[in-house]
This record gives sequence, structure tokens and C-alpha cells, in this order.
Amino acid sequence: MSVRKILLVDDEADIRLVAEISLSNLGGWQVIQAASGPEAVALAAREKPDLVLLDVMMPGMDGPATLEKLREAEDGRATPVIFMTAKVQKAEIDRLLGLGVRGLIPKPFDPMTLPDEIRRILGT
Amino acid sequence: MRPAPVPPDEKERLSALRRYDLLDTLPEQVYDDLTELAAYVCRVPIALVSLVDSDRVWFKSRLGLCEAEVDRTYAFCAHTVFNGDLLVIPNTTLNRQFADNPMVTGGLAVRFYAGTPLVSHDGYPLGTLCVIDSRPRKLNRKQTEMLRAIGRQVMSQIELRLHINDHQRIERLKSEFVSVVSHELRTPLTSIRGSLGLIEGGVLGEVPSPMCRLVEVARSNTDRLIRLINDILDLEKIEAGKLDLHPRPLDPEDLLAVAVTEIQGIADQSRVRLTWQAEPSGSAGRPRMLGDFDRLLQVLINLFSNAIKVSPPGGAVEARIEAGDCGRVRLSVHDHGPGIAAHELSRIFGKFQQIDTSDSRSRGGTGLGLSICKAIVEQHGGVIGVETEEGKGSTFWFEIPVATLPE
Repeated sequence: MSVRKILLVDDEADIRLVAEISLSNLGGWQVIQAASGPEAVALAAREKPDLVLLDVMMPGMDGPATLEKLREAEDGRATPVIFMTAKVQKAEIDRLLGLGVRGLIPKPFDPMTLPDEIRRILGT
Repeated sequence: MRPAPVPPDEKERLSALRRYDLLDTLPEQVYDDLTELAAYVCRVPIALVSLVDSDRVWFKSRLGLCEAEVDRTYAFCAHTVFNGDLLVIPNTTLNRQFADNPMVTGGLAVRFYAGTPLVSHDGYPLGTLCVIDSRPRKLNRKQTEMLRAIGRQVMSQIELRLHINDHQRIERLKSEFVSVVSHELRTPLTSIRGSLGLIEGGVLGEVPSPMCRLVEVARSNTDRLIRLINDILDLEKIEAGKLDLHPRPLDPEDLLAVAVTEIQGIADQSRVRLTWQAEPSGSAGRPRMLGDFDRLLQVLINLFSNAIKVSPPGGAVEARIEAGDCGRVRLSVHDHGPGIAAHELSRIFGKFQQIDTSDSRSRGGTGLGLSICKAIVEQHGGVIGVETEEGKGSTFWFEIPVATLPE
């Protein structure tokens, strides 16, 4: 699977900035950004990204709720999704991985190795 | 028959009763012991710990009685609660107030009743400790005194419950607080750590070297803060008993081999040699220990990492597997560092304790590592300890019970 366009979803603008520099400068990917779940759902429908990096804790529609809406909207295409979360308790991680995502990146992440981490999760 | 009047402060009395969360709970030995004692002292077949609820009297302990509760209208205990003092009725059939009570005329045939109120620390009678017989009787002065005394014991048990509930509530709040704070700290740290990482990595252009040094200082201290938050969360979880252990029979050699592989890089960086040996096992093979692989690995890596930090360059760290006390398996990690002074020994397993050294490598720690190790080992039913000689080195060890194989 070749990834060209990544949808980055996080309510924290600063974290989006750091991740975007990493993903575009080091990863060589095209990055589009959403600051909330509803924005992400709308953007995904329009832009059809190859991968969604999705923050778990967001006000209003959180990561798992956004994932559900994304899946509803894409009727079976199943864009790969990777969660990013600051909650690193094992029980929480197991719960999130059980929701049908490709993997999980704990926060704080290291932007120098983030692209490698994503490639490792996707097996590319 | 006249029901007991409702106390004037009934609303407050009921809310005082409710805060103990005692109504409709399961029987408890401590209350059953006290009713048994009251019945024995007063030489009666029935003794009860009763709680007077809004329209019923419910029994926390009932010796010699099948009913779990009775209607408050007929309850003798409601009178005791209203009076707020010891009530003794030697013969109910001779007492105008009680002679036509269904408890007297009905199958229960109560003839004798004595009840002492259970008065809360703030003055509300919640119920009674009472003794009942189906034939008339009297209590002597000593028996009356004992009944009151046992009643006070019942009440102090009830009060204790309040303290335990309080304690649990505080613990829960504390653990929620730690978890929320950790998350809230992690979010800004993600931006800080990320920005510094990108600058240090030269992603947006070369950084002049004196500046790069400062960026590295900022980045490595951010990493340290992140480790600290992780350790605090970890320790909090272990201490709150929320650590999910998945114990299975483990070969200690497997554990040691994985730990050595994981720590080898750090040892190489510090030019420390790692060696390990296993004491020859008996004919039955080495006993397996019962433990959670990942958590015991965490302990072992922590001990290795400490040992490497205190080792002189070119030094050696030696690990051993051997038989421990009480049939446990012992793993130990020996270093040739400066050792630990006797006055420091008692506190090294405490929180936020670091042995003061001038060696910069020790600064990366959080001071929580050994507390976490101790908590993990103890949750396994094991023991952890250290032997040390100043100027010669230290041996940190832990012992884990062996897995007993099903026959």
C-alpha cells in the first residue's frame, strides 16, 4: 500500500504543526489537517486520504467516535487509521486497538522517528 | 398498641444513617460476634443489631431470628431509638404499651425485650443492639452494663466503616487526579518535545553548534520529565492495586536473556561488560517461577540499568540465577560501583530517592525506579533486597515464588 496523503487530526494546533513538519519534511508525505472529529469526517470524504492519524482525546467527538463516523461514510473502503494517544495505560491501549485501527502511537511521540514508526505499523 | 413517635429530627437522623452505607449489606462476622456475645451475657436466645430505617427496622446481625426486617410500626427498637436510652421490658404482657403488639400476640411471642441505642458520633440514634426472649426475665446490673458496652462496640464498628469509606474515596480521588494530571502534562510536553526534536534533528536547517548544545539540554530534560510522569503513573497504578499481572510459569534464564539483550546497547555505550551465570540445576531441572514476564523484565532491566550507571568504565556487571529462601528463585545483579553507605540503605527503596553521586549518568533517573521494582516484586509475593560494601559494589536481588506444577 503506498501512502501519499495523510489526514492529521488533533485539536492541539501545536501538535499538528510538529507532526506536519515531521510527516512532510522527513516522511515526504502530503499532509492535510483537521482540528476536530466533524472536520476530519468532512475532509476525509472530500480528500480521500491514504492514512488518517487520529488523536484519541478531543473535545466533543473523540477519536473512537470519529473513527466510527469515518467508517460509516466510506462504505467499506476502510482507510487505514492510526490512533495517537496520551493515555498509555495497557487496558486503554488494548481497548483502542480492538476498535479496528492499524496501530497506535503514544504521545509524546518523537517527530524524528515518527515517519519510521508509521511505516513500521503499516508494514511498508 | 401505639407505634413509637417519630423523632423530631428524623430527616437528619435518616441521612446520618444513610452515610454509613450499611442498610441491606451482607452479614459480617464482627457484628455476628457481638450479637452472640450479647445473647450469651443476657442468657437469651435472640440478639439483634437493628437499624431503624424510614418505614422498617432492618437487622445487620440477627441471632435466633429468621426475619431480615420488620415493619417499623410494631418494632420495639423504634421506641428505643425515640427514647435514645436503654429500654428494658421484663414482661411485655404486663406492659400496656406492648401487650397487644403483634410481636407479642403473634408467633414470635416476645415476652422480654432490652435494647440499647446505637448513637452516632454526632448524636443520632441509628438503631439498637437488643436482646429478646419468649419468656419474661430481668437483667441484673452487670448484664445491663455489658449490654450497653457491647452496644458501644457495635457503634464503633459502624463508625469505622465511615473512616474506611472515606479512605477509599480519597484513594480514588488521588488516583483520578494523578491520571488526569499525567494526561494534561503529556499534551504540552508532546509539543515541546516535538519542536525540540525537530530543531535538534536539523529538519528545518542546520543549528549552530553552541545553540545545538542548549537545545539538547532542553530536549533531554523534557525526556526526563516524560519518564517521570510515566513512572509516577506506573507507581500509582501498582500501589492502587490496579496492576494487571498475568502470571505464568517462567524460566528465569529466558527472563535474564531478554533483559541482557535489551540492556546491551546501554552497557556498550558505558563500556560496561555484562556477564551472567545460572547455578547448576538439580536433576528435575530448574524450577520455574510464577510471574508476569513483562513486569519482571521491567524489574530486571531497572536493576541492570542502575548497576551500569554506578559502574566505572570498563567495569563488569554480573547477574546470577540461584535458589532463594523458602523455595523461591533468586535473581541478582552485582556491580563493582562505589557501594551504598549504611545510612542510605534504609531509604533506597523509597520514593524519589537517589543516591547522590557526581556521576552524570545517574541524573537521567527519576528516583522512582526501585520503588516500582519493590512494588512489582511484592505483588508477586516475592522479596527484594540489597547487599552492599562501600568501595566494593552492591548486589541487588529479588526472589519470586516458584510455580507449582499441577500434579
